[in-house]
Amino acid sequence: MATVPEPDENEILPYQAHTLVTFLAKEPKQTLTRLYQAPSSCLAVFRILTPLERQIIMHLLWMESALPPSSLNAWVVRQHKKIYDEAIATLLKLNILTKPDKLSLNPEFKTNFRLTLTGSGTKGSFGQPLETGSPQDIEYLEGYALEKWESILHFMVSSGGNPISKYPKQLLYRSGLMTNPDLGTPRITSKGFQFLLHPPHMQLWQLLIQFIEMSTEDIVEVLSVILMISTTGLGREYTTQYFTEAQRNVLFQLSDYGLTVMDKKSSPSFTPTRLATTLTSSSPPLESSTTLSSGPKDGFIILETNYRMYAYTDNPLQTSVLNLFVSLKYRFPNLVVGLITRESVKRALNNGISAEQIITYLTTHAHPQMRKNNPLLPVTVQDQIRLWELEKNRLKSDEGYLYTDFSAQTDYELVLKYARELGVVLWENAAKRCFFAQADGHQTIRAYIDRMQASRQRAENEY
Amino acid sequence: MRAIKGVILTCDAAVKQILLSLNERENFMIEDLDDNHMLIKGEHEHWVRRELETELEKNTYSMDGNSAN
Repeated sequence: MATVPEPDENEILPYQAHTLVTFLAKEPKQTLTRLYQAPSSCLAVFRILTPLERQIIMHLLWMESALPPSSLNAWVVRQHKKIYDEAIATLLKLNILTKPDKLSLNPEFKTNFRLTLTGSGTKGSFGQPLETGSPQDIEYLEGYALEKWESILHFMVSSGGNPISKYPKQLLYRSGLMTNPDLGTPRITSKGFQFLLHPPHMQLWQLLIQFIEMSTEDIVEVLSVILMISTTGLGREYTTQYFTEAQRNVLFQLSDYGLTVMDKKSSPSFTPTRLATTLTSSSPPLESSTTLSSGPKDGFIILETNYRMYAYTDNPLQTSVLNLFVSLKYRFPNLVVGLITRESVKRALNNGISAEQIITYLTTHAHPQMRKNNPLLPVTVQDQIRLWELEKNRLKSDEGYLYTDFSAQTDYELVLKYARELGVVLWENAAKRCFFAQADGHQTIRAYIDRMQASRQRAENEY
Repeated sequence: MRAIKGVILTCDAAVKQILLSLNERENFMIEDLDDNHMLIKGEHEHWVRRELETELEKNTYSMDGNSAN
């Protein structure tokens, strides 16, 4: 293990923790230890860790005894101590390291990760390819995965105009990416639109985390299936015979998201798609695509100062996304022309999509031609979109109580001071001797006034 | 001393004038606080917002439809 590298702008950049790492860090220690009973889970978790975290694990993996933290500390240059400490903290949260004062790997993790590296262990821990299985048509698999995945995204943006299976649908509702269907036609939410702006790998994991949380099966079973298929190879058919009943259910449910191809729950085999095999790798989830869509790879939107928008795409998903905030005019085989109008933006704003999100979307997907401009989007259009948002918030309202008719200036000042300390005063006017406070402070303020008046009464009685 | 329950509206001066004229149609105002604030009856908030929206809409010129050529 080497020291943490010398200061270098690129190296110091903090790695963003993987969505799954964040999720696992919150799980109970026992659950994690159970998860590490599968060699494939150990490998998959190892793959999503940062390089430094991997270094620490590799350093400790073949040691039988524990290492005092001071020995490992000696390898770290002082200015990068923070990154090192964070790595140790993450590993402790993941229950890969068990104690902060004595560094040694969780025995379960150690045993099974060693098995992984030496290629020993029980049969089928990394999936058993079907012996009779023929090589699968990769092109078909890509198409299948893409179609399933896009149909979910398309469902989100088209307000349910494009039917999908029951489980992905429920997942979209429950995760708050779409509005509750009990309250009228489900629509994409602000969170859902934000979701569309994320890179595909993150989108996939966000949905999977939700999938894990919603699953009725044991969480370890669900996680181990997902992590296991992330270590399989593309284009091969795998047998399901080493899976438990619960795991087979999960495998089948994942076919709704395009991660696996499986005809029915009892099917003796399944084929993972690229969406599954790249889950814990850094390769893009779909062949030569960074946008996880069948549309153009680079940006495709041209926006003019006259609010006209030209989108070079024939992709129904992208068209539907644009339709959320652009008034579309013409559609050609490779081009969609639209206009950003007050109405179209207001409609989006009413759906909870913010001006900033619209601008981010347009920026992310701007056509390479647009990249010559600085700033990238016409300032007039950007400003106008923001102004339309402000317009929507011209009226602000708050519930509460107006306190007025104070008999004495001192009373007014005392009560106002008290209310200010509670932090509930929204408006005050000394000349009129009144102020307005939020509703949730009312009980406390009233109690204060009662106390004040009672003590004054007592004082008067004493005279 | 009195405490009056209601909803405080915070807005710019122009909107405030529209609110005052709306109040002539339907009396919802409890107290006119200052240029930017007004206390109204809570149950009227929805109506006020809707009417204000309609009123503001009258003053906007729409580009849509005129530019199709």
